[in-house]
Amino acid sequence: MSGTFKRLAWVLGGLVAAIAVASIQSGTDAANLTKAGAYCIALVGLSFLTGWSGQISIGNSGFMLVGGYSAAFWTLHHPGEPVAISMIVAIAVSAFVGLIIGMPATRLRGPYLAGMTLAFAVALPYVPQSFAVSTLGGSQGLTITPLSAPQWFFNLFDTNNTLPVVINSRFTAMVSVVIAALVLWLMSNLFTSKTGRAMRLVRDNDVAAELVGLHLGRTRAQAFVLTAALSGLAGALLVMVSGTASPSTYEFGFTFSIALLTLMVLGGIGSLSGAIIAALLGVYSLQITTWITDHTGLGPDSWVSAKLPNLAPNMENILFGILLIVTMIFAPRGIVGLATGLRQKLISVTRR
Amino acid sequence: MISISHLSVAYGAIVALDDVSIEAPTGAITAVLGANGAGKTTLLRTISGLVKPRSGSITANGHALIGERPDTIARLGIAHVPEGRGVIAEFTVEENLRLGALGAKTNVTAGLEEQYTLFPVLKERRKQYAAQLSGGERQMLALGRAMIANPQILLLDEPSLGLAPLVTQDIMNTIKTLCANSGLTVILVEQNAKSALKISDYAAVLHVGKSIAVRPAAEVAADESLRSYYLGMAE
Amino acid sequence: MIANILTNRIVNDIAGGTAQGVIIGLVALCLVLVWRATRVLNFAQGPMAMFVTYIGMTQMDHHANFWVAAAISVAVGFIFSALTEIVIVKPLYHKAEINPIVVMVGMFTLLEAVASAVWTNIPRYPTAPFSSINFQSEGNPTGLSPLSTFQIGAALAIMTLVAILFNYTSLGLKLRASALAPEVSKLLGIRVGRLLTLGWGIAGAVGAVAGVVISLNPGGLAPNMLDAMFILGFIAAAIGGLDSPLGALVSGIVIGVVMQLINDYWNSNYADMVAVVLLVVVLMLRPQGIFTKNSTRRV
Repeated sequence: MSGTFKRLAWVLGGLVAAIAVASIQSGTDAANLTKAGAYCIALVGLSFLTGWSGQISIGNSGFMLVGGYSAAFWTLHHPGEPVAISMIVAIAVSAFVGLIIGMPATRLRGPYLAGMTLAFAVALPYVPQSFAVSTLGGSQGLTITPLSAPQWFFNLFDTNNTLPVVINSRFTAMVSVVIAALVLWLMSNLFTSKTGRAMRLVRDNDVAAELVGLHLGRTRAQAFVLTAALSGLAGALLVMVSGTASPSTYEFGFTFSIALLTLMVLGGIGSLSGAIIAALLGVYSLQITTWITDHTGLGPDSWVSAKLPNLAPNMENILFGILLIVTMIFAPRGIVGLATGLRQKLISVTRR
Repeated sequence: MISISHLSVAYGAIVALDDVSIEAPTGAITAVLGANGAGKTTLLRTISGLVKPRSGSITANGHALIGERPDTIARLGIAHVPEGRGVIAEFTVEENLRLGALGAKTNVTAGLEEQYTLFPVLKERRKQYAAQLSGGERQMLALGRAMIANPQILLLDEPSLGLAPLVTQDIMNTIKTLCANSGLTVILVEQNAKSALKISDYAAVLHVGKSIAVRPAAEVAADESLRSYYLGMAE
Repeated sequence: MIANILTNRIVNDIAGGTAQGVIIGLVALCLVLVWRATRVLNFAQGPMAMFVTYIGMTQMDHHANFWVAAAISVAVGFIFSALTEIVIVKPLYHKAEINPIVVMVGMFTLLEAVASAVWTNIPRYPTAPFSSINFQSEGNPTGLSPLSTFQIGAALAIMTLVAILFNYTSLGLKLRASALAPEVSKLLGIRVGRLLTLGWGIAGAVGAVAGVVISLNPGGLAPNMLDAMFILGFIAAAIGGLDSPLGALVSGIVIGVVMQLINDYWNSNYADMVAVVLLVVVLMLRPQGIFTKNSTRRV
């Protein structure tokens, strides 16, 4: 993609996102979009690690927990300070934890690394429940005042026709989307930078990378720090919006790590646009599942569900499990890969 | 008898063998000579089914080999001692030998006894791990493991690799004896042309993927014009 | 004197920890078997074992006795694991190493969801043919019950069987060869593909034994019953070295005992974390695990 075209795409994408956020009528959609922004950041982090440095992590929910708790803790003890500072603190703390986890990770290959990060994600929720219960809130977690829209934002909209709650959700969605866009922009620059190229070389050929003088361990550790920082930011964002950080938060449990991995693969490993698609897929997966079951005769009224009343709540995971297996075997580059393939086919057809 | 005709093999865009035709008569040793990268190893790997050719045919004792799986080809009586000998270092000498008999479904006890008579050194070391053997002993183990399968055709990839000249001579003589005693058909791929030509009946020269000559070994040895091909550019 | 030892708190913890430790070792052994054979870390090991345990143990609802149900679990475990290898793992050999990881994670999600759909999340408690009340010594409880003795015995018996199979039989020799040097094995006429499938099958059967034994624990039989056990099994396998069956057993027992001691003397929440910290420390010092020889492979 040429530079001008790329910039145009960014501007257009930003405009579409802004209009979408501003015109949202339902509070649920706004809340979903808020989540999607955070998911997108977490996915970019993971996608970067896997797609650009060839490492795998099933532990990013752990970094999200670290980020979320850090933000909540800072906000509780420094009330009235700008939200941005809480976010930066969250990024810094999770980056540091990423460094600690990343140090052994630099010496580990795929399966060891995957298992170690998974163990990290499983064990981490026990930390606030067992240590410093008074400061970290035990199993209750920490509660802060959630992010709310400032007066000028309310003034923008007609408060007679729109509920304040919805306007507030619009604001959080806006914040989330803007931060996600910022992250995407920074990462797209990183991908084309010297560091990005170094990472790719480490992924594709570690021997060659060492020959040209790259420090393998350092590059891998850098990738880990970055993925941890982004996951931490995503976790912080979720906490700032919802107002709670607790060990039972869905996004802080290891199942979310698995969900992130699934979404990343479905979107396309290492692809930024894939991360956006995957984030929306993650947020709307329940709706998508319902739509699919309703249109395939597997819905709650069908004979299958009559026999297996517990099928409906598990349908989402069944579909995702199957999709993940099928994608990895038949289309390892995910939705984005399929789209690129299709586009190239179309181009070759029209040129003929 | 093994006959290779019009065989072409490519790895992606790189052509490794280009229209190669070689015949190796029954009960004789046919040497395949050539410099590094001439396609010698590829030739053997294609015969034993590890590499799929682009075109051409290979028949051995009346069986068409192309398209068969490596293990099927092995059970047809074609033993392949790969480059670097393929001895399993984590196994003992005896385990390596037993594996050969198990793969070919021949009698293990009788086979072991036979190989121990042929290679007394293997008997001495049968409880040792293959990793502890010297290069020459490993080559003997690899030969013994191939012979325990009672093959009709033996493919040898650089048996002299990394061996001292005296040990090489020893191994070459063993190969010669094996062939003479059992009517074995041997294809011997070698970079060490001098040693190989000494024991071979026929010789073929591969040069950048093309076969140049299949003639009696003595003729090839005498032909000055061929020497530059199998000795490489430096000589 | 003997009675004092048998009812001593630390001795009890060691006995109880060993009972859990051998089960951890059993799970670790499955991972090692699959890893050694096909260089795939089976992230779906837990759910696969859970799934086949359900299939067998629910036969007890239809008046099958415990042993029949357990045998069905093991047989189905073998078949299911072998089929998994044929259908979804074979296409991934020689691909990037993250591909099989991702596929097995997909299998994880799928199987837990299907199990929850079919059998719900409410745990079931298969009736064990052994009592879980600890043996008494002069009126005081010891660290073992008939049930936990059976669990230790079953796990050790399976491990012994696997060890004999791999080290002292022709089939075992072929299985090891296929895993260590697939290409050379093929050249010797060994049907490597079939043996790799068999390797997965054996791991599946061992996993089913682990599943059955664990379903007799107080947690019972539930779709996520093996999640924690899988993590511990992985930690044990990684600490011991993914290539070492003996390492899997030993580190499994060590982890079981350490966790039991932490549970008893400290706080049960710490146990999992200590295991993870142990893993991180060991991997920092010896990334290939403690029991793996540092030798060069393949000559």
